[in-house]
Amino acid sequence: MEYRPRIPREGINVTERHPLSELVILIAGIAAVVAALVVAAFAFIEVAIRWVPPSFESRLFGRLWSADAGSEQEDPRLEAATAVLGRLASHWEGNPYELQLAIMEEQTPNAFAVPGGMIYLTRGLLESVESENELAFILGHELGHFRNRDHLRALGRGLIVSLTLSALIGGSAAESVPRVATTLTQNGFAREQEREADTFGIALVQAEYGHVAGTDGFFRRLPDATAGIGDEFASYLATHPVSEARIEALRSLARENGWSVTGELTTLPRLTSGHSRGS
Amino acid sequence: MILSNTEEIPGRNIREFYGVVTGSTVRAKHIGRDFMASLKNLVGGELKGYTELLQEARQEALDRMSEQARSVGANAVVNVRFSTSSVAQGAAELFAYGTAVRVD
Amino acid sequence: MVETAINLGIPLLLLIGTYLIGSAVERSHYREIRIRESRSRRFPTVNLRTPPKSWNIVGAEMVTGNVVISIDYFKRFLAGLRMLVGGRVTSYESLLDRGRREAILRLKEAAFERGYNAVINVRLETSRLASSNRKGEGTAGVEILAFGTAVKFAK
Repeated sequence: MEYRPRIPREGINVTERHPLSELVILIAGIAAVVAALVVAAFAFIEVAIRWVPPSFESRLFGRLWSADAGSEQEDPRLEAATAVLGRLASHWEGNPYELQLAIMEEQTPNAFAVPGGMIYLTRGLLESVESENELAFILGHELGHFRNRDHLRALGRGLIVSLTLSALIGGSAAESVPRVATTLTQNGFAREQEREADTFGIALVQAEYGHVAGTDGFFRRLPDATAGIGDEFASYLATHPVSEARIEALRSLARENGWSVTGELTTLPRLTSGHSRGS
Repeated sequence: MILSNTEEIPGRNIREFYGVVTGSTVRAKHIGRDFMASLKNLVGGELKGYTELLQEARQEALDRMSEQARSVGANAVVNVRFSTSSVAQGAAELFAYGTAVRVD
Repeated sequence: MVETAINLGIPLLLLIGTYLIGSAVERSHYREIRIRESRSRRFPTVNLRTPPKSWNIVGAEMVTGNVVISIDYFKRFLAGLRMLVGGRVTSYESLLDRGRREAILRLKEAAFERGYNAVINVRLETSRLASSNRKGEGTAGVEILAFGTAVKFAK
């Protein structure tokens, strides 16, 4: 037998697919599938929420938080806040929750509604509100979340999404794509929740004070507070400019209902400098 | 294209030889198969999904090797060998190589 | 919004940058491989065990040729995505093809430098180098080894 020098044709062991187009197709495909999964999971949560009555929720979670609230009510501002909460809640027909209020020792102004009827206000928030009306709107906003069961939604969604993602993907190099797709989908829903909570909150303020002056001070100071149990990404991808849209939405709501945006603002008692027990 | 893992094709003579030809493909399993496999890991038994996947991939590697052989003018590949190696967590390279020859 | 842009933008820039640089490196490597292959094509390299009887062999020695090629960020990212949906991982195909051809060329060149005339019984081995910073799960590179017996003809 003889040797004949030959070289095989180029490109047989390499598929002729342009990497960039493959990248785009894969990213788009995976993002679409993940978004669909997230939407399906959310729909499931919606149905599940209807089966969790508030009484059960209070019993289950209320016990977790009751250690925090009501123990040191010496702070006059906190006392006033609790009183405001009570007055506002009285305008909420059919309020099923035993509401409690507590301070969270943090300087960033923020407010959280957690399952069971507990509302956490950060020390930063209590220090920075300029009037009772502003605080009333914030509390009303949180009451809106309770009414829409948003806190439960956030809990359920967070659980389901992180469970499915870690089960399916579990730490591969390209997990950033499903993660980003999930968070963006979640944020879409979150914004709607915020808008509805705003609407409910301002209606409560109107019912209690007869006008809605002072309520937009809230937006000038608060970062976009999603329903509290967000994941690390919420702080990254939360959108600040939404505040403009929210102010506009509230102004037009006030205009439609003929609510006055001017009026006397009630002042709050001064905050004591000591610490109050909170988480 | 005649393939054989022996040195010669039984009953035929090798007239010319052209050198080593290779065929390889890199395949990844997908999440669905992975999930079924982890279930099977509990009870044992054949992982049919993977068997099919690897069979398909190996066939593709052989086809590519045959194509290389055809492109140098061979009509047989002798001494065919297989090699499987993992190139990433979850992806394996199926590799076949042999010597391209012309038999009469 | 700025944070989103930064969070998505930096990986994207990295991807595009490493794609451009990686594909340029790959193209120049392929060009070099093709030149060396055409120059060395008269040097028989086979995986037959018994050499042709017409070769009058007077000397033999085992020779090897190996190469380690690293995986770039873009290939790894693309492969990661592909491993979610399954199918052919095209970004690694060119990597392994280059590595294999390079290893065989180095085998030929090593045999040639030592004065041999052909290589028989060529075998190939591929292995993955795990990366140390991801608990051994990531791939730092791929090593391809080609070894065989170099033979010398009587003049």
